Amino acid sequence: MKSAPFEYVAPSTISGVLEILGQNDPDEVKLMAGGQSLMPLLNMRLSRPALVLDLGRVADLDFIRETDQGVVIGAMTTKRAVEDSELILREHPLFWESTVAIGHPPIRNRGTVGGSMAQADPASEYPAVALVLEAELVAVSARGERTIPADDFFVTYLTTCLEPDEVLTEIRIPRLAPRTGWAFQEVARRHGDFAIVGATATLGLEAGVAVEPRIAVFGAGDRALRFPSAESLLAGQPATDEVIDEVAAQVAAAVEDPLDDAHASADYRRHLAGVLVGRVLREAAVRAAEASTGA
Amino acid sequence: MAIEIPKNLDELPTTRPRYVGRGIRRVEDVGLLTGRVEFVDDVVLPRMLHCAILRSPFPHARITGVDTQAAEALEGVAAVVTGEDARRWSLPAQSSPEGWGTHCIAGDKVHYVGEPVAAVAASSRRVAEDALELIEVDYEPLEPVADPFKAMKPESPQVLDAQETNVMLDRVFTWGDVDGAFAEAAHVFQEKFRWNRLGANPTETFGCISEWDPMSLDLTIHGSIQSPGMFGLGRAATFSLPSNKVNIISHAHGGSFGGKGGTRGCDISCLLSRKVDGRPVKWIEDRGEYLLSGGGQAWDRHYEVALAVDAQGIVSGLKVGLVDDLGATGEAYGAISAAKPLAAFTGPYTIPVAQYDLKLVATNKLPCGPYRGMGPPPHFFVLEQMMDIAARSLGEDPAEFRRKNFIPADQFPYTIASGNEYDSGNYGEVLDQVLALSDYSALRAAQVEARAEGRLVGVGVANAIEPGVFDWNAYAIVGMPGTGVPEGATVNIDILGNATVRVGFSLEGQGQYTLVCQLVADYFGYEPENVRVVQLDTQSAPPSFGPGGSRLGVAITGAVLGACERIREKMARVVAVLMQSEPENIEFMDGKFTLKGAPGAEMTVAEVAGTMLARSDLLPPDIDPRPEATHVWTAAGRTPADEEGRAKSYLTAAHAVHIVQVEIDPETGMVEIQRYCLADDCGTRLNPDTVEGQTEGSVVQGIGAALLEEYVYDEDAQPLTTSFMDYLMPTVFDAPKLEMVAVETPSPFTPLGAKGCGEGAIHTTPAAVMCAINDALAPLGTSAREVPAAPMRLWKLIKEARERASDENNNY
Ligand SMILES: Cc1cc2nc3c(=O)[nH]c(=O)nc-3n(C[C@H](O)[C@H](O)[C@H](O)COP(=O)(O)OP(=O)(O)OC[C@H]3O[C@@H](n4cnc5c(N)ncnc54)[C@H](O)[C@@H]3O)c2cc1C
Repeated sequence: MKSAPFEYVAPSTISGVLEILGQNDPDEVKLMAGGQSLMPLLNMRLSRPALVLDLGRVADLDFIRETDQGVVIGAMTTKRAVEDSELILREHPLFWESTVAIGHPPIRNRGTVGGSMAQADPASEYPAVALVLEAELVAVSARGERTIPADDFFVTYLTTCLEPDEVLTEIRIPRLAPRTGWAFQEVARRHGDFAIVGATATLGLEAGVAVEPRIAVFGAGDRALRFPSAESLLAGQPATDEVIDEVAAQVAAAVEDPLDDAHASADYRRHLAGVLVGRVLREAAVRAAEASTGA
Repeated sequence: MAIEIPKNLDELPTTRPRYVGRGIRRVEDVGLLTGRVEFVDDVVLPRMLHCAILRSPFPHARITGVDTQAAEALEGVAAVVTGEDARRWSLPAQSSPEGWGTHCIAGDKVHYVGEPVAAVAASSRRVAEDALELIEVDYEPLEPVADPFKAMKPESPQVLDAQETNVMLDRVFTWGDVDGAFAEAAHVFQEKFRWNRLGANPTETFGCISEWDPMSLDLTIHGSIQSPGMFGLGRAATFSLPSNKVNIISHAHGGSFGGKGGTRGCDISCLLSRKVDGRPVKWIEDRGEYLLSGGGQAWDRHYEVALAVDAQGIVSGLKVGLVDDLGATGEAYGAISAAKPLAAFTGPYTIPVAQYDLKLVATNKLPCGPYRGMGPPPHFFVLEQMMDIAARSLGEDPAEFRRKNFIPADQFPYTIASGNEYDSGNYGEVLDQVLALSDYSALRAAQVEARAEGRLVGVGVANAIEPGVFDWNAYAIVGMPGTGVPEGATVNIDILGNATVRVGFSLEGQGQYTLVCQLVADYFGYEPENVRVVQLDTQSAPPSFGPGGSRLGVAITGAVLGACERIREKMARVVAVLMQSEPENIEFMDGKFTLKGAPGAEMTVAEVAGTMLARSDLLPPDIDPRPEATHVWTAAGRTPADEEGRAKSYLTAAHAVHIVQVEIDPETGMVEIQRYCLADDCGTRLNPDTVEGQTEGSVVQGIGAALLEEYVYDEDAQPLTTSFMDYLMPTVFDAPKLEMVAVETPSPFTPLGAKGCGEGAIHTTPAAVMCAINDALAPLGTSAREVPAAPMRLWKLIKEARERASDENNNY
């Protein structure tokens, strides 16, 4: 299991990266972040780029910063750094929780936030969390910089809206409204596996009534999915078991063409999407209720 | 003076054993855990080449052409071999039922995905893999067969051209009046079960370096090889060489569990070496190759079972029908997995009559190989489910139902219906111990509460026999006559009194080198540091089979103690000469030779050894002056199989009872193991820590079998689980905390009374976990009959049971 031959470069600046992308056919270049998804693909010869461009030495892509709007994470920040960040734990416990559900420590030591976003694995935790947190992803190319809402970023199975000459540089996560409840759950065959299906939700409660609920599911469809119609069904309703069950059923029904493989049939995935959405909504509601009484 | 191998700890020549029977720190761990011992991939030989293998993407296809020209022209490529070379220089695999082996590289047709079709030797593995992409193979796809029931039909595609059927063996073994027992039974229970294909996954896959000297035709193979002696005999047969022309140098390796087949890749590297005039050729199987086409898939089984029970709840008969899907060809001894259950067919029970309807079937999947336990674990899975089905139906507690069917402790040695003899046992005591350890009645009380809350909590009680110390005679019934399984050791004392023990098996992680140190230390009054264990190549080592069939701990104990006895005997004669007495008057205890009735007249082992070597001139000419001896141990009293396959095969019968508590999430089908308790009896525990370690690892593999592991093939025999993303082994996070207790009923037949225990818990764990799951499901009126109990499968069962229940409610 050895990769096909390729050239390797490791520039130290973003402009260096863009220059190299400009000099080569970008379709022949593969950007490498932590290599946790890319290296197996190279070694199995499923990916055969002429050039591997390692982002590991590029300065200023590895950071976690607080801004007025929220938190900004550099694309090359490792999951381990997120896990160790008090800022993330305080500001975005949901993002923190989803981080420690990814793989095992050795994978988190190398795997990056940007790499997971760009990989767009449908069973990956981050894209779903980016959806409910309404994160924005920033990409640069020789043509300039653009900011992409998470909703537009993830296109389908292992595909984002990034052009081959674009580099993801950072992820911006806006601050949640005060007293927002959140939850994150997944069903995986083993601890640390990619999820069969997972769900995440945020939700406020005012006098027992759901405010601005957001729901996302991963592992069910060709990408992380958000469910606006289920959200509006819940918004303004009391977060009772009955309502939540109805919302969960709507989510399950709304999953189009669920994935189907040796471990989980389409049926089972659809069913799990409903079960897990029910569970995260209940859990988020409890958190929201606690936050309101605590305040 | 005859030598007598001590039958129990009291017979060792020591006032009190200081090491045997204790959990001493293992001598091999530092080297293995730090990776400082030399693994085969560390070995670099002069002028060495690297091999990569091109594999079939088709499960079944005719090969109409192989073009290797472009590959041969690639810079760095030294040679390419194809099926033509294999047919010219080698024979089909000898490790299969006769007529069912194939060559190591496919000839006219491929029989499974991953079958080698060509191979390259090149300056590096990378170049070799580049060259594979330049080989052009023309395939004409043929219809594959993935289902053994289809494969048995006359209209099925034919897997092997050389055969007229896909049925390798179709035989019914009947032991006693089975029809009578079923006719007279008060209750008959019947059920079907499915055990899906799974297998061994050692940390290190197979690897080898082969050198085929073109002048002498000597074949030298370095490798990570579980049974070097057997492996050498196999290569000699495959290449039609005299067995003394093949030398195997086995390196320490990262586990095996039976999965280190690797013979095809090894044979291919031998062919390549021959083609490049004897340059060494290294082949390291990578994990992708291992999972797709290695020696690690086993037990792809369909069972149909019936149990006869009399009015008192005593099991009076057992019928097991097994359709064993062995994959494309027989090879790597996979077929004998179906024969081994005869060594413990009726488990720990008195079931007097039994029948085995056995069909070995070929399909277009990877040939099955050995796996820890070698066949009985699925057999006990079905037997124990049947015991629960009977107990539940008769309203009896599963523990007590088993107890009343146990072979009583005073009936050993006990011959079971399928012919093997159990050495000893105390099954009621083992059960009592684990009932107490788990606080069984409290578990049941908690279950009642949980059920009242609608939770699916279950408690499984299961037990099994682990046949230990195997002998080939057990396997003749599936057409696989063997060569015997000797185990030898040479013990040598040097001029300063330190001991070196030469053996023929390599480090694999089970702690046998430590055991050797313990034995020699207690025998000669040494410290373990005074004992060194050295492994030799197969042309230099004493005869050895090595680990396998839960035998090595017992066998090496016999070999080492036998060699120590021979040295003691020789030394007693020397001491008699030096003390001007007769050997009968020389006594040996705690490392000292003394003269009877002459207090103070004593010599230590070191003094005797030093005298023998430094002053051999003092010895009478008929005494060999080397303080060295070799002993070759084999199990006594094994018998050939009779016409119904009955034989005294495995020498020991260890026993364990496991009690497991699980909870199933009814909405997701996920199983959580909440308690795991076990009691086991493997006779004298030579090193209790080692037994515990073996048990822990084996429980985890058993949990993998029950919940996770499965090689999935689609209907067209395409493998779907070809990486660790899809083939799910348990990790440390999936391992429950184990609560364990030991019972020691020594074997009357073995050195020191120890029994085989290396395969261990995997015999019981899948059964126990499945019993617990089915106990949890019982209130829903459904049960799981397929392993692994994957969440999707359980969810479906639960859903269907609930739908049935609500349909019934609606009907009323
Ligand atoms: C055993 C194991 C278990 C795992 N379990 C999980 C899990 O449970 N959940 C989960 O989500 N993931 C899991 N992963 C995947 C892991 O999280 C990877 O780290 C992640 O998917 C990719 O991150 P990376 O930094 O390694 O990226 P790489 O592997 O280096 O790159 C991935 C892809 O993203 C592209 N890319 C990387 N950075 C950029 C950028 N800045 N701009 C544009 N494109 C870019 C690359 O070109 C490549 O196509 C697991 C991996 C392993 C090996």
